[in-house]
Amino acid sequence: MKRVLIVDDATTVRLYHRQILEQAGFAVEEAINGLEALEKAVADHYDLYLVDVNMPRMDGYTFLRQLRARDEVYQAPAVMISTESQEKDRKAAYAAGANYYMVKPVKPDLLARLAGLLTGGGAHDPTP
Amino acid sequence: MGLRKACNFPAQEQAAAEPGGLEQLLRQLADPDPESRRRAARKLAVHPEAAAPLAARLAEEPEPDVREAIATSLSAIGGPQTVASLIPQLASDDAPLRNTAIEILQHLPTDVATHIDSLLASPDPDLRIFAVNIMETLSHPRMEEWLGVVLRGDPDVNVVGTALNLLSEIATESILPAVEEARVRFASEPYISFVCQAVERRVREA
Amino acid sequence: MPDVRITEADFRAFRELFYRKTGIWFEDSKRYFVDRRLSERILASGNGSFLHYYQRLRYMEGGAEWQALINAMTVNETYFFREVHQFECLVNSMLEETVKRKGRNKPIRIWCIPSSSGEEPYSVALYLLERWERLDEFDVEILASDIDSEALERARDGIYSSRSVQNLPKEYVQKYFTALPGGEYLLCDEVRSAVSFSQVNLMDPLQTAPFSDIDIVFCRNLLIYFDDVSRRRAAETLYEALAPGGFICLGHSESMSRISSLFTLRRFPDAIVYQKPFGRAV
Repeated sequence: MKRVLIVDDATTVRLYHRQILEQAGFAVEEAINGLEALEKAVADHYDLYLVDVNMPRMDGYTFLRQLRARDEVYQAPAVMISTESQEKDRKAAYAAGANYYMVKPVKPDLLARLAGLLTGGGAHDPTP
Repeated sequence: MGLRKACNFPAQEQAAAEPGGLEQLLRQLADPDPESRRRAARKLAVHPEAAAPLAARLAEEPEPDVREAIATSLSAIGGPQTVASLIPQLASDDAPLRNTAIEILQHLPTDVATHIDSLLASPDPDLRIFAVNIMETLSHPRMEEWLGVVLRGDPDVNVVGTALNLLSEIATESILPAVEEARVRFASEPYISFVCQAVERRVREA
Repeated sequence: MPDVRITEADFRAFRELFYRKTGIWFEDSKRYFVDRRLSERILASGNGSFLHYYQRLRYMEGGAEWQALINAMTVNETYFFREVHQFECLVNSMLEETVKRKGRNKPIRIWCIPSSSGEEPYSVALYLLERWERLDEFDVEILASDIDSEALERARDGIYSSRSVQNLPKEYVQKYFTALPGGEYLLCDEVRSAVSFSQVNLMDPLQTAPFSDIDIVFCRNLLIYFDDVSRRRAAETLYEALAPGGFICLGHSESMSRISSLFTLRRFPDAIVYQKPFGRAV
């Protein structure tokens, strides 16, 4: 089963994304800030990161930059999810190491499809 | 070689402090050496008058550990001057700076309360979101009023979403009509329905 | 005494708040464990219901109640070789990097704070004596501090219960302890004299200022009891005490993610620890 790490300080946002992704067949874990996300990324393997921008202790951009700088960690694709809809924020997300950028709140089917595409076609590994 | 008992330890003479006067420390806050700035920032925690200069430095400081020391000192100083100096930084383009400001402000709920009205009236939805974020740790008689206003009339889906997220933990029966209004206003947003449900469930099951 | 009623929704709300504060997440299977202790705390703190208690917790930044609550929810025994993987990490990884960085000219300094009744710093000593082949090439100073003078006295005395030493290999007990008539064990002089004890309040800059150039800090199961601001200040104090490249180990249920962004995460085969960055980021 493909594993996703949801990084957001808002409890209901994490829950909302969790429901969507679990329904799409992913195993989901959570982190409430960039620091916790980094700890989990270093300790465990994830196939996808869902990253909020504004969080206490460490924001999403900083988390992504630090994640991408770590050679020893598997560099899974990252979707940055933000309230900001301006082009400059999109550019900043990509510059920090995001693979995709979505504006909150996300629609369930869009997120599920994107997650599937970014993790190689689906939550379930085709090879046994 | 091997395990060696530390001699004359801890040596109290080492504790001879660098001079700690306010003027000197404020000058040191602009020192070219980051370590010197960091030490100054730490020592300024006991000088309430340093709130504004510290907040100003926070916005300019490139070194993460110096920023951290400044933030910690501001949290320790607290008070209305700290809050007033940090509120403008909520509008910054610099994400780490904004988030640091929010974090500090969340720890100063009583002093922040006087700013909530103006933040909620801001044309910038991000500032209105931050106002709700700051309410996380606020226990205030006007909470329900503020959140009610957001639910009933804020045009931005994420401001409303942030308010609902907070209410999913602290809601009481009396906010439910406003919650229903928010659900209707944003009927096309699955997330909003989701959080409204969470709020209603919490109230029912408490 | 009747238990306080805690619904499923109450448990979930509490769990979420506790997780945000401490990083500790209670699985559903821990429901009974949590409900019991939560119920006790609600009654002990004079609150009539879960809701009142919850509200108090949300709005009360630090304070005695959070401390008592965290105390109740975590297991706090101290004994020799507790969380032994960190000592494994010490001799297998951290010391290697330390000596590469330092060379031989200055002593390696290890600081245990809080040292409590001494099991931790003495565990470090035993590990170095028995498990680090390079000990005779270097000078190692073990510093141990605690705010509690009684705990320090017990530590200096070096007398331990059989429960405290039960995690030690039998050969170590025979080699380094003397069995006392009352069933307790007295740690030998060689090890006791290798540790420097001091009374230190981590929140007092004057008391912590003498600690500098520290290579490895063990600060286990202390910061979790502090409020948010005090945790940050304590983390900064430890950061300042550490040499660049120095390491810090927290307790197994603690994480810097609730404390400070100053340190870099390092993953070693035996443990995940934190490191003070070397130079300045460009």
